[in-house]
Amino acid sequence: MLLLIAKRLAAVVVILLALTAVLFLLQHISPADPVKTMLGPGASQELVAQTRRELGLDDPISVQYVHYVGHLLHGDLGTSYRTRRPVGTDLATFLPATLELTLFALVLALVLAVALAVATTLNWPGAGAFRLVLLVGAAMPAFLLAIGGIILFYKQLGWLPATGRTDILDAPAGPTGLLTVDSILHARPDVFVDALRHLLLPGLAIAIGPAVSIGRVLRSSLVTTQRTDYTRTARAKGLTEVQVMRRHVLRNSVGPALSMTGLQVGLMFAGVLVVELIFAWPGLGQYTAQSIPVGDYPAIAGVMLLLGGAYVVINTVVDLLQAAADPRIEA
Amino acid sequence: MAIAEAFTPTPTPVVPGRSRWGRTGRSPHARLDLLSAGLLGLVTLVALAAPVLAPHGPLDPVGMPSAPPGTSGFLLGSDSVGRDILSRVLYGLRSSWLAALAVVAVGALLGGLVGLVAGAAGGWVDNLLMRITDGFLALPAPVLAIAVVAALGPSLLNTLVAVSIVWWPFYARIVRGEVRTLAARPHVEAARLAGAGPVRVALRHLLPGAVPAVVVTASLDIGALVLTLAGLSFLGLGQSAPAPELGADAARNLSYLLQDWWIPVMPGLAVALLSLVANVAGDGVRNLMAGR
Repeated sequence: MLLLIAKRLAAVVVILLALTAVLFLLQHISPADPVKTMLGPGASQELVAQTRRELGLDDPISVQYVHYVGHLLHGDLGTSYRTRRPVGTDLATFLPATLELTLFALVLALVLAVALAVATTLNWPGAGAFRLVLLVGAAMPAFLLAIGGIILFYKQLGWLPATGRTDILDAPAGPTGLLTVDSILHARPDVFVDALRHLLLPGLAIAIGPAVSIGRVLRSSLVTTQRTDYTRTARAKGLTEVQVMRRHVLRNSVGPALSMTGLQVGLMFAGVLVVELIFAWPGLGQYTAQSIPVGDYPAIAGVMLLLGGAYVVINTVVDLLQAAADPRIEA
Repeated sequence: MAIAEAFTPTPTPVVPGRSRWGRTGRSPHARLDLLSAGLLGLVTLVALAAPVLAPHGPLDPVGMPSAPPGTSGFLLGSDSVGRDILSRVLYGLRSSWLAALAVVAVGALLGGLVGLVAGAAGGWVDNLLMRITDGFLALPAPVLAIAVVAALGPSLLNTLVAVSIVWWPFYARIVRGEVRTLAARPHVEAARLAGAGPVRVALRHLLPGAVPAVVVTASLDIGALVLTLAGLSFLGLGQSAPAPELGADAARNLSYLLQDWWIPVMPGLAVALLSLVANVAGDGVRNLMAGR
């Protein structure tokens, strides 16, 4: 197990280095000139040349890459052309909102996935209807779910808010930046409820796609597990269908679904970026969307490094969890 | 396999009322699968014929702005400047569908080549190519694609390049796996003994065995690609302003959401429909290939 952990950690380092190399090379081949973007079109030639020297853009590419990684290791992600602030500071500002929304959506996705998988596997009249939900849900773009959710639950029914993280003006602003957590720490149940209400629509819009993918994998391993001898034994000794599902089938079927969850996190990031735009959610999606049209590459690279790194780490943890749960999995 | 099945009389009991199907020697299931798979061709035809099918030009203001769906002459309504939404959706569908097909084709060819070389060569070539493939697979595809497009500058071509770059590794893995299994089979050994060179063995004896798996994966992939491309387009990484594009049309018209809901919703529904049809067709292709 220790050997496995060491191997996986080494792999994480290599992959993260590869990610930095890709992001660095992309910046290098990008037709946008960072110096011109930074100084504006009216800058004099001497100023441009001087800035190039100061930024180290005249050095050989290998030297530039080593500098780039060195800066990254010191937490220096460069300066955003647009906000003129360090990208690290910008990310710290926008990360909590995105983190809260992503975690909430992940929990929703897992709950929905289990519900969908069980509902389609159990022998009952509604199974067919839920199989249809799986088919249709797999084809829904996150932005359509978001738009549909706003029309139905905000405009028609007036049950849920459609924009932002909270309507309460004096909501606590620290220490974690996650509104639901901060409201508990400050003993503000009103803020907690309001924050949850704001999370529900964007969370669902992000969660449904991954929930369907995870649910499908879980469903197929449930079906396989249901045909095993020990499940037949459990039935034969008189356990109810629900007991069999809970005690014997579900527990032995979560492995593949867990792997799928790790993979789906990558797609969820894309969903988060899109859905944040629709709900005016003050997170990394807004930051990215504002950076793309002006070609603010350091900002975009910063977000992508953060999301890519999170994805690699999450999938490594999933791998290790599976190895811990099932000793048959070897390095 | 599908063809072989078509000529084999299946022992399916003839269902009353379906005897017409029974006579062809195909099970109703296979018929249904064939119909589903045929949807791929149908959508491709619709995409190609969009300029003929669209009642108006996608960029022309042709009537009252913000007319609701069903208004005479505007089946899906008109947008804020009086353009026909149906026409824009048809053109958007055309570019989405053809783009998805292009990415699948490039991914399958590029990944197939890498997988074939890795699987057929074995040894350190295999090791090196597969480590590179794993590196790509270890990174989240949408995130990489956004970074690539952001660096190259937003345009449809750059988006296609970006998504193709992140899409091929799946095919490399699949083809390599199939080729490795085949390489151990007697017929390949026989070919080698008969004096066939490595290229001939790879192309004549290994590649054909990997094709069914690639076809199935490719057809199941189209729906996911339609969604991915629509998401990138929504983020502003596709064609620029007046061009009809499903994701971007929904994003640009978000401000009309509460008054004239159909303007952003119709392109979104088109994405969902396209992806649904692709998924159903992909399932059909898979079942046919599996010889259900």
